Amino acid sequence: MTMTGILTILMYALAPFLWLIVTSVVLLLTVQLLAHLRGYRILGYRCLGANLAAIAVGLTGLWWIPLFTHSRLAYVASVFDWIALIGALFATAILAWLVLHPLSFLLRGKSASSA
Amino acid sequence: MSEQDHEPSRLNRRQFLKYGAGAGAAGLLYSSGLQARALATKSRIVILGGGAGGMAMANRLSRRLDGARISLVEPREVHHYQPGWTLVASGVWNPEKTMRPNSRFVPNGINWIRQLAAGIDAANRKVELEDGSQLDYDYLIVATGLQLNYQLIDGMSPDLVGSHGIGSVYASIEGATRTRDAIDAWIAQGSGKGIFTAAPTPVKCAGAPLKMTFTTLSRLEASGRREAFQVEYMAPGDALFTQPYINDFVKQRFDDQGVTRRHHYRLSAIDPQARKAEFTFVGPDSEFTSHHELREAEFSREGERKVVTGYDFIHVVPPMSAPDYLKSSDLIAQDGPFRGEWLDVDMHTLQHNRYPEVFGIGDVIGAPINKTAASVKAQAPVVEANLIAQLQGQTLPRRHNGYTSCPMITGIGKAMLVEFGYDNDFAFLPSFPFIDPRDESWVTWVMKDRMLQPAYYAVLEGRA
Repeated sequence: MTMTGILTILMYALAPFLWLIVTSVVLLLTVQLLAHLRGYRILGYRCLGANLAAIAVGLTGLWWIPLFTHSRLAYVASVFDWIALIGALFATAILAWLVLHPLSFLLRGKSASSA
Repeated sequence: MSEQDHEPSRLNRRQFLKYGAGAGAAGLLYSSGLQARALATKSRIVILGGGAGGMAMANRLSRRLDGARISLVEPREVHHYQPGWTLVASGVWNPEKTMRPNSRFVPNGINWIRQLAAGIDAANRKVELEDGSQLDYDYLIVATGLQLNYQLIDGMSPDLVGSHGIGSVYASIEGATRTRDAIDAWIAQGSGKGIFTAAPTPVKCAGAPLKMTFTTLSRLEASGRREAFQVEYMAPGDALFTQPYINDFVKQRFDDQGVTRRHHYRLSAIDPQARKAEFTFVGPDSEFTSHHELREAEFSREGERKVVTGYDFIHVVPPMSAPDYLKSSDLIAQDGPFRGEWLDVDMHTLQHNRYPEVFGIGDVIGAPINKTAASVKAQAPVVEANLIAQLQGQTLPRRHNGYTSCPMITGIGKAMLVEFGYDNDFAFLPSFPFIDPRDESWVTWVMKDRMLQPAYYAVLEGRA
């Protein structure tokens, strides 16, 4: 498979979800930028609630990721199925954290931060 | 003759993004020395058919040949992603998802002839077109696809699909959609008998009749009234699938899911008004014979056994063959199991056995397996390399190993990635070491649902 082949496949695969990808990136960057302008530093702010919420969002993927693919959790059967699903859950949780953590800073302010 | 060079109307956003990405990748290819050099030639090359095989070859040859006069004979403006039809007929996809304009894939500089071919004079290297005009060639690529012979089932016509409880995923995208509706209507009845058939000839996507059975079983189970429905599978041969492991697996799974199997029967007639189907016993020698041979045997037999049975839903798989105009040409196989029905090519080099300037690709070729889009992906680089070698008077360098692939849907939401080839009794040829072809898998389903269509379009563009 050539590099152009891989790029062509990716282009066709991602095209239907371009709006979702763009919306997610815009949301992520907006929240991060606003928080940074108000003094947010990713390692300088702690919020247990945001951490737990991000984990919870990740875990909801157990329900909606199979559903999104016209399938169900019961059909996640092989070792590779689970590796793929856990990877997707992990990525979802990380993305949720990157939004919720600075959002929490914006909502709660610096008073709650402890470096 | 209505021929014109294909010119894109404008550079749309999709093309801009693609070419932007492609330019970067092309740079990588050139810098790594992987880009094949174009061959200068004035040859006239005709590609018959703009399906997966024909379009892939049009794109590959337009890049590999400099100065060649390439004509693509394809009347349709819409390109159909046929591997998606089972998902449409199962209610998973919308039909619109399977259609793209052909103009997206036809490369620049190709003479796109929007007509049907009507005949081939192989001795004089001419293709006759629908309007009576002729097209001369130095090299011919036969990528016509195959013909659905519904007329060989008495009383059957593709127009009936969607009415009288008749479904047929093969008929067309409209037929696949109407098949979905017919299954919906049957399930809404709350009970009744469904019959799923298979054809006594090689067929495209040999897994499709099985997939339609499995996805319907999923829907019957989801209705909560599975026990109220009878499901039968009528097979013309002893096997349900070519690959031995998968054949055994499917038989066992059908038994486990309460599907009644009957072997050595073909659908010979249908009475839509009465919702009755006639099946003819074809005997244990029917498997992988051409329909031509089957009919000869049938017409010579006295007192053949027939079974007439009622149904509430029937899934019809028609006999298939090369198109009629090809069957009446000298390019058709003259002997062997594909005689009179399929293109006569060497199944490894894909070069015609009697006309070295002719190559075949896709569903039309005479080969024991290989009528899938995945086969086209494997065949296209072989035809490209061997045609270019033929142009230069060299020995043909590449051989096709028969690679074919079927994401065997075993239920809505799960599938097996079945990949195999000619050798060692159709042994598995897995592409991914982390996916076991013997396992039902969610990831394989996701590939079928989300990734194989993009890969197919990359094949059309000659990029994969």
